[in-house]
Amino acid sequence: MQLTSSFKLNFLKQMLLGFQLSAVSSNNMSFHERKKAIKLSADAAIAFARGRTRWSQGLITNLSKNEKNKDVLKGLLGREYDELSKPCCNSWKIPRSKKILRRCLRMSSTRKMAGRAQHDVGKSILAKTLAKKRIQVLKKLVPGGESMDGFSLLDETLDYAMSLKAQVDGMRCILRTSEALNFK
Amino acid sequence: MESAEAPQISGVRSGSSGTCAAEIAESLRFEEEIQSLIVHPNFEASNGSSFTALLGLSGNQAAELLHEHGLTAAASSPAGAAEMWRLRLGGDRAAGELRLPLGCSPTFPSDAAIVESAARFSVFASEESPTSSSGGGISPRLKVEQLDPDSPPSVPVLPSPKTKRSPAKRKGTCEKSKARGTAKKIKRTEEKKDPTKATATEEDTADEKLPYVHVRARRGQATDSHSLAERARREKINARMKLLQELVPGCSKVGNFLNHSRDLMITGTALVLDEIINHVQSLQRQVEFLSMRLAAVNPCIDLSFLDHILSTQCEPGAGAANGREALAWNPAPWSPDSAIAGEDVRRLLLPRQYQVWHLDLLGPQQSSMAWERDATPHHNALPFPGTGTGTSLFGYDSTNSGNEGPPAMRHSCLFQSGPIGPLTM
Repeated sequence: MQLTSSFKLNFLKQMLLGFQLSAVSSNNMSFHERKKAIKLSADAAIAFARGRTRWSQGLITNLSKNEKNKDVLKGLLGREYDELSKPCCNSWKIPRSKKILRRCLRMSSTRKMAGRAQHDVGKSILAKTLAKKRIQVLKKLVPGGESMDGFSLLDETLDYAMSLKAQVDGMRCILRTSEALNFK
Repeated sequence: MESAEAPQISGVRSGSSGTCAAEIAESLRFEEEIQSLIVHPNFEASNGSSFTALLGLSGNQAAELLHEHGLTAAASSPAGAAEMWRLRLGGDRAAGELRLPLGCSPTFPSDAAIVESAARFSVFASEESPTSSSGGGISPRLKVEQLDPDSPPSVPVLPSPKTKRSPAKRKGTCEKSKARGTAKKIKRTEEKKDPTKATATEEDTADEKLPYVHVRARRGQATDSHSLAERARREKINARMKLLQELVPGCSKVGNFLNHSRDLMITGTALVLDEIINHVQSLQRQVEFLSMRLAAVNPCIDLSFLDHILSTQCEPGAGAANGREALAWNPAPWSPDSAIAGEDVRRLLLPRQYQVWHLDLLGPQQSSMAWERDATPHHNALPFPGTGTGTSLFGYDSTNSGNEGPPAMRHSCLFQSGPIGPLTM
């Protein structure tokens, strides 16, 4: 993924559209509602602008869980909504089969490692645990991350981090301009 | 130390093409080197090792690259580079299967390491240049990765001239990574020149898929398919970790050692993961915070000006009118397809490569210029958006003429009453 200007523009436009759709400028919203609506628009916009990736699908799915958001999302994304909101179907099966595989591997490897020095094993186990814990945390962070394995998780994290950065930049920009204009 | 090295490297370089001299003659511009490296399809030159063959670069070129930068770069971290390179490649090969092409000295393990480092250097350029961490990141990183006890002759690390790198050169990097032979699929499009948005490159390389990675069996390790697969997995993960490391500012200092020692590698990995997690979390928090602030700005948010801004991204002039027509969106009859005049505007805007993020730089004169060019007939009364808010939203005057500058910018009508065709996104 590249941070092209068209990507950012798309994101901006989608976000503004989302603002309009959810009528954030109306006076009859509470602060929190407005904030949620804004966040929803921003997230949907970034997912939409990114296209179809695992995390964007996961994001839309998470957002759609709230019924109220669905209409906004549908209006915003149009026909992309359907494509984006159907997650990878067998996503839950993949981690399970991987666990089985890993268990078998581990057993065979521990048998082999029995001959090695004890501290080696200890270290590697510790290190693996460390890494595992962090991967778990990462899975929770990245939308749709639970159903991904290590590699794709890293890929998606990269992608997601970049999009987040674009999102932050865009929102900051909008904020700056609106504030600047408001003071005139 | 460099002089001691020079004969070594020149010996190494004998095999390389004669372009090296020309390259040295050029100023230290990394991109050209990478390009030339790519151009050399020297796969056969490397020894029979599958991994190094895949990696593509012959040791000569890598060494020449090294030497070149050694010549011109200040001796920032003399031992760092070589050690890092040694590590990179060396970890796996430490057990003795390291075979360097064409009599490279063992301190230039070259292929994987140099390629990776070179790729990384270019990546760094495009990367978060504002972040100072990445700026200092290369040298400290190289130093940190100095695990190898024997110190090879020093090669100064090039103080990567990040600022000189243009996005166009990132293409070279990616191609080089392809030449690297990890068979990563590289998706690239042209990028805009904004240096601050330079996190893109890692994505390019990160997008690459690794269909397979050839793995050499280490001496003394099992060579059955399981452990080979394990090692392949590890290598894949490491490659990605490196990319992630570059993306996350400040992460480059945490050494991510390529298999120099397994536990070190894994704890290095854990630290890198930590950084990544922190980064993602902070970004998410920023989004929350910004949405809160935007909510606070509302209901004064004047979406009209925003649309105006979007439209003025079009080059003022001929494009502007069309752009604005294209932007004419009537939110009231909201159909999913008319989501935004995205298609048209994109078409118009893309070639311009405007930097969207500098919206606040849009001075009054720009806006008025844009408006002036625009035919006033456009500024008619707008049919109002079905958002239900009154004038606060789109504070426009039907007295249009928008030629008065900033106040006009706010009040000018942006929405035209043209119908919007179904636009595909």
